[in-house]
Amino acid sequence: MKPFGKKTLAMLLLSCMMLVAAGCGSNGSPTQEDTASAAPETSSKQEEPVKVVWWHSMSGDVGKAAQQLVDEFNAEHKDIVVQAEYQGKYDESLNKLKASLGSDSGPSLIQVYEIGSRFMIDSKAITPVQQFIDADKYDTSRLEPNILNYYTFDNKLYSMPFNTSNPILYYNKDAFKAAGLDPEKPPATYEEVAEAAKKLTKSGQAGGSFAIYGWFMEQLFANQGAELLDNGNGRTQAATSSLLGSDAGVKTLDWWKRMVEEKSMLNLGRKTDDTSKAFAAGQIAMTLDSTASLRSIVKSAEGKFEVGTGFLPKADANVKGGVIVGGASNWILNNRPEAEQKAAWEFIKFLAEPKSQAEWHINTGYFPITQKAYDEPIVKENMTKYPQFQTAVDQLHQTTPSLATQGAVMGVFPEARQLTETAIEEVLNNKKSSKQALDDAAKAITSKIEEYNKTVSK
Amino acid sequence: MEKNISLVSPLPRESSRQEGIASLRTSRWKERALAYFFLAPSLILFGIFLFFPLLKSVYLSMFLTDPQGRVASFAGADNFTNILTSEVFYNSLWITVKFILLTVPTGVVAALLLAAISIPKLRLTKLFQFFFSLPMAVSVGTGSIIWMVLYHPTLSILNYALSLIGISPIAWLTDPKWALLSVALMTVWLNLGFNYIVMLSGMQSVPEDLYESSKIDGSGPFRTFFRITLPLISPSLFFIGVVSIISAFQSFAQINILTKGGPMNSTDVLVYNIYQDAFINYRFGIGSAQALILFVLITLLTIVQFKFGEKKVHYQ
Amino acid sequence: MSIRAVNQTILYVLLSVAALLILFPLLFTLSSAFMSSAESATYPPKLIPSGMHWDNFLQVVETVPVIRFITNSFVVSAAIMVGQLITASMAAYAFAFLRFPGKAMIFSLFLSTMMIPWEVTMIPNYLTVRSWHWLDSYQGLIVPFLASAFGTFLLRQYFLQLPKELFEAAKVDGCGQIRTFIQLVLPLSTPSLATLAVYSFLTNWSNYLWPLLITNKESMRTVQIGIGMLQFEEVTAWNVVMAGIVIMLLPSLILLIAGLKPLVRGITAGALKG
Repeated sequence: MKPFGKKTLAMLLLSCMMLVAAGCGSNGSPTQEDTASAAPETSSKQEEPVKVVWWHSMSGDVGKAAQQLVDEFNAEHKDIVVQAEYQGKYDESLNKLKASLGSDSGPSLIQVYEIGSRFMIDSKAITPVQQFIDADKYDTSRLEPNILNYYTFDNKLYSMPFNTSNPILYYNKDAFKAAGLDPEKPPATYEEVAEAAKKLTKSGQAGGSFAIYGWFMEQLFANQGAELLDNGNGRTQAATSSLLGSDAGVKTLDWWKRMVEEKSMLNLGRKTDDTSKAFAAGQIAMTLDSTASLRSIVKSAEGKFEVGTGFLPKADANVKGGVIVGGASNWILNNRPEAEQKAAWEFIKFLAEPKSQAEWHINTGYFPITQKAYDEPIVKENMTKYPQFQTAVDQLHQTTPSLATQGAVMGVFPEARQLTETAIEEVLNNKKSSKQALDDAAKAITSKIEEYNKTVSK
Repeated sequence: MEKNISLVSPLPRESSRQEGIASLRTSRWKERALAYFFLAPSLILFGIFLFFPLLKSVYLSMFLTDPQGRVASFAGADNFTNILTSEVFYNSLWITVKFILLTVPTGVVAALLLAAISIPKLRLTKLFQFFFSLPMAVSVGTGSIIWMVLYHPTLSILNYALSLIGISPIAWLTDPKWALLSVALMTVWLNLGFNYIVMLSGMQSVPEDLYESSKIDGSGPFRTFFRITLPLISPSLFFIGVVSIISAFQSFAQINILTKGGPMNSTDVLVYNIYQDAFINYRFGIGSAQALILFVLITLLTIVQFKFGEKKVHYQ
Repeated sequence: MSIRAVNQTILYVLLSVAALLILFPLLFTLSSAFMSSAESATYPPKLIPSGMHWDNFLQVVETVPVIRFITNSFVVSAAIMVGQLITASMAAYAFAFLRFPGKAMIFSLFLSTMMIPWEVTMIPNYLTVRSWHWLDSYQGLIVPFLASAFGTFLLRQYFLQLPKELFEAAKVDGCGQIRTFIQLVLPLSTPSLATLAVYSFLTNWSNYLWPLLITNKESMRTVQIGIGMLQFEEVTAWNVVMAGIVIMLLPSLILLIAGLKPLVRGITAGALKG
């Protein structure tokens, strides 16, 4: 390609286009517009409002709720304009970020899923929000400690949690009654779930179904107080190997497998959307799903049956543990001018306010990240409408903080999840024993971690 | 190439009627110049948007990349040896081959049959021709969403239909034995519209008097089809064959939406693997190496098809 | 006569069965688009919605700037279509009728472009387009797709099917290459040009990742991103997504109807000789 100069190429191309495309009359003009609009952005200091570009992955109704928050912020702040841009699913948006690094085409603020945290830190492209917290003397004690924990590394908060959720057990109260089970007492341990599932199974209705979702496995580990990775779940030091094949994993998978074998639990694949639709249609009586799905699950069951919620089941009644925070957080990019980063921080603070969180919570079903939000009247009202949500809040508050419940961190998390899911499938389809499948997956994950660590400069 | 372009300017307006070797030579020059001029726009665009990235990925394939996608350390041929010695790669390759075998012959034959039954001129022929080409209007993305609902593990309308005739439900996408088959079925449907249109236009360009004369010869419809139609549309058949194989190799969106390579890696085709490495797991080096291997594989296969296939193709 | 009638009936039965099988997924989509969200997820599944829930479409329009997206997709796909028709027919003519050194080599070079996995080209092309300041612009969406090896191949195959005598006659008449190309080859190839037109329009209508990558402004985005905006990973309301799909399918359907006409008209032997 070198023999051509870039200009000649562009000229050639343009002439080709003129020759070729009579239809696209807008040639060139958008470019001019672009440069024109970009110029004042860099030159102006005080007069023009600071523009904050926020990339997010919130679509559907949730996307609308996010836009609503942005509009409110812009109305309140005359000196800042936040521009929310939907950039596809989490991994698509992250890819786009990666491609834009090292140029000014990236955002000022980006929403990244929780398992992308290690990548964001290793990319060295971000300013930890702790810097702004310290400079601002911002009081973080109002925020949920269990949520902040996930995004805290080396005692520094790197990003601000935005949408957070946990897995809970959903069950069909009417089916419980019909099977002679107490509809107000959801099964709490593996053993109780297995027994209930057996009783609930009849023609046209299975006891339950869990989606083959790596996230559930991670949560069930934490719920036994077990760590998924060495080096304190990768938090005291970069992780070097996976502990997936440990007793916690084998016990969980054996239990799951036994229920599938007894036909009291169905294997409906990897998508929680599939299990929740089966649940709503009354085909399964129990399922695991995110708290963020609560509203839609309750709504879709309206007029058919009453939905109950319970804690994520534990291996034994007396093990200590709890759930990990899932969801996503907002990161500030360090290649933007300081004024812009500060403006982004203002927006983050706005999002963390009780009022914003209350609104966000009732419109989406994600947890409020500040406890104060529960005092807002709209939240109280919502709680009476969806009393099931109390379970989720209690579960979050009862979680004892530890390295296990803080959650694992690794650069190859998306891949590790996929490998875990394959391992579960191998067990449920009778290809391998639990121990064998998990050991194999752990080995594969470990080698991926080693490879990753090689590429990250210290 | 620039040289050729500058040569073009005096375009040959009339082919020369003058005799003599000199004019013959100029007309040959003019023909060449015209050819390069005709090829130039495509070649320039390919150069910038396809070959340049390809060269870049050759470079990347020899390195390990950091989370930002930048070159971290030189790996030489390591990426290639790692891939070529890994079980995952051969598993993916085998699945890709199975996927091609499931989709390409079925797709071609189905399109051929549809074209054959919709070519006789009946009153409603045009309507059916429209119906058969409809899947073409559906993109892979939306098509996958539609089939995801059709294949739902418990609410599937297909399973309901099966239950009406006494067949127990099929776990379309969640049973490792079925998943690839289900994705293949959906892919055949998706490509049917286009394959059909190409076949149809191929058949329509067969001069009608050929049919007439074969009718007069007393040849039956089947004989006519195999003796006359098939050879005459062999360029279209060849085209569809080559293109279907290439597109089957590159099928990605339906796998990403329907199965994500699962269950138990049973639908983990090569491109899905590449996508995973390059876009999810941030290993651009390995992803590039794998993509290059894929590129070489498709190229070899296509060369073979041209070497052996095009000989049998009948051009008028 | 009666044998013909029987044959016709058999043919109609065959056609109808095939049509039903092929149309089923689309009819299912259409019907789901009018269901309430509860109806769209029940067992046994429903074939016909209980009422026409137009509010699904309203929801789509509220979530996604549909008109804007459709306009963008239309402009981009149409421009690419015109561009590909021109570049591909020129190149195909060269491959089919002209003699020049390096023909086989260049043709294989063309074909090889079809085999380059898009994963490889995406990021470098993003960087190229960015360096030209073409992000968020029509030319960024259009130019990378203006040439098509696929189209060249398709047209070449078709050109080669054209009767040779025709060109000899043209040569004798003193018809130059360019005139042969424009006045003889192109008009005779309407069916395959229509095929390519429809194909290239629809493929680019389906583009998702490239527009997502190079556009940020909502005003520059295309329909497939719109469908993505309707789904949410945690829970998806099928009826609304299906309604979105129906809306975004409409323009493609119209194009297909328009493109099918020249396509199925075909050419008769008489036309060839005249």
